[in-house]
Amino acid sequence: MYSRKKYGILGVVVTIIILILLFALTNTQNSKLSYIENLANKIVMPIQNGLVYLKNKVNGKSSFFENVSNLKNENQQLIERNTELEKQLRELEVMKAENETLKQYLDITQKYSDYATIPADVINRDISNYSKTIVINRGANDGIKENMTVIAAEGLVGYVISVTSTTAKVQTIIDTSSATSCLLSTSRDSIVCKGTLNDQSHLKAMYIATDAVVSQGDTIETSGIGGIYPKGILVGNVSKVENTTDLSNRYALVELAVDFARLETVLVITN
Amino acid sequence: MKKIIINIILFITFIIIYILQSNLFTWFQIAGVMPNLFIIFILFIGLYASKFIGTIYGVVIGLLLDFFISKKVGITAIMLGIIGLIGVIFDKNFSKENRITLIVMVAISTIIYEVGTYILSYFIYNNDIQILAFIQILAIECFYNILLTIILYPLMQIFGNKIEEEYKGDKILTRYF
Repeated sequence: MYSRKKYGILGVVVTIIILILLFALTNTQNSKLSYIENLANKIVMPIQNGLVYLKNKVNGKSSFFENVSNLKNENQQLIERNTELEKQLRELEVMKAENETLKQYLDITQKYSDYATIPADVINRDISNYSKTIVINRGANDGIKENMTVIAAEGLVGYVISVTSTTAKVQTIIDTSSATSCLLSTSRDSIVCKGTLNDQSHLKAMYIATDAVVSQGDTIETSGIGGIYPKGILVGNVSKVENTTDLSNRYALVELAVDFARLETVLVITN
Repeated sequence: MKKIIINIILFITFIIIYILQSNLFTWFQIAGVMPNLFIIFILFIGLYASKFIGTIYGVVIGLLLDFFISKKVGITAIMLGIIGLIGVIFDKNFSKENRITLIVMVAISTIIYEVGTYILSYFIYNNDIQILAFIQILAIECFYNILLTIILYPLMQIFGNKIEEEYKGDKILTRYF
């Protein structure tokens, strides 16, 4: 009995408070309430937007279902179009790769225009860690013969050691059994560049004359001595000179112009 | 009939190894060094197949490799032939049922093959001797071959036992005693 009475009084008090608040709010100027309105908007608006979106969806459901078949057709057409475009893209990528290869051929052909050359691709590399021969996709049928010089856009690669009808083996200058007679481009001193076992990007320049001046950055090119390599083909640059107490034993490291790890396209000089 | 199938499988394995060796391992290298799966392959045949099969396979595969890529024909054929023989010798003296023993066999075979090839190349091509660089490459190659042996060991055992049963039949004693 007491409890019901208590709750009844509480209800009346709450109602009165709400009434007073409503009264106060509805009779105050809007500007004073704008911040509360903003706050309320921020909370309510996303929900309201969502509800409106749903309402619109529900209202438009009839047209939505009516358009399903049209959409299906459209989707099918788009899939076909997409497949067609993907196919074209693949074709373009192939053409781009071909274009790159042809550009490389053209670059090196122009660079060594004095020589008659045959372009070739590297198709195989030595499986051993101790020798560095490569196989190219041109052979006797294309006019390749033994001892022909092989070059890349950047410089000297090596020479042909054996030929089959469709392929040729090339001994690269980085092979340990290779010794290339070279010239220092500045002082015109003669040196011999040999391949090393553990370095694919450097050659060891040996037999440097005691009075020869070798400095870092000197360009190294073939001397033409030996009869295999034509004169004046770039080999690389001197990256380090190792002076020893005995001057006749000194040697230099030659940084190769050609990146043998990424060698893909070469030219075989046929004349 | 079974022997023919085994030999066909071995030939297909050779082709797979050749493709792996000349493509995958030219970029999948440890410190610029490739493994040599052919040594493991020929040693495996020498260990599990009958006398001289390993040597014959070694010589034939070596000749093919020489024709495909080497500067002169012969060195790889001789050295792989020797590895086939070594496989037979290992089989007579040691148990291949133990993984560690097999790893040691692979390491020894790799060293023998590469040192032999290097010495022969020195005489044929008049190479400069670069001992330090050679040892460095050889050590990494041995390590790489050992890793591959550990990975391939279960496969080698399963296929090896089948080859052994076919070629040696009831002469296999080591597995039971």
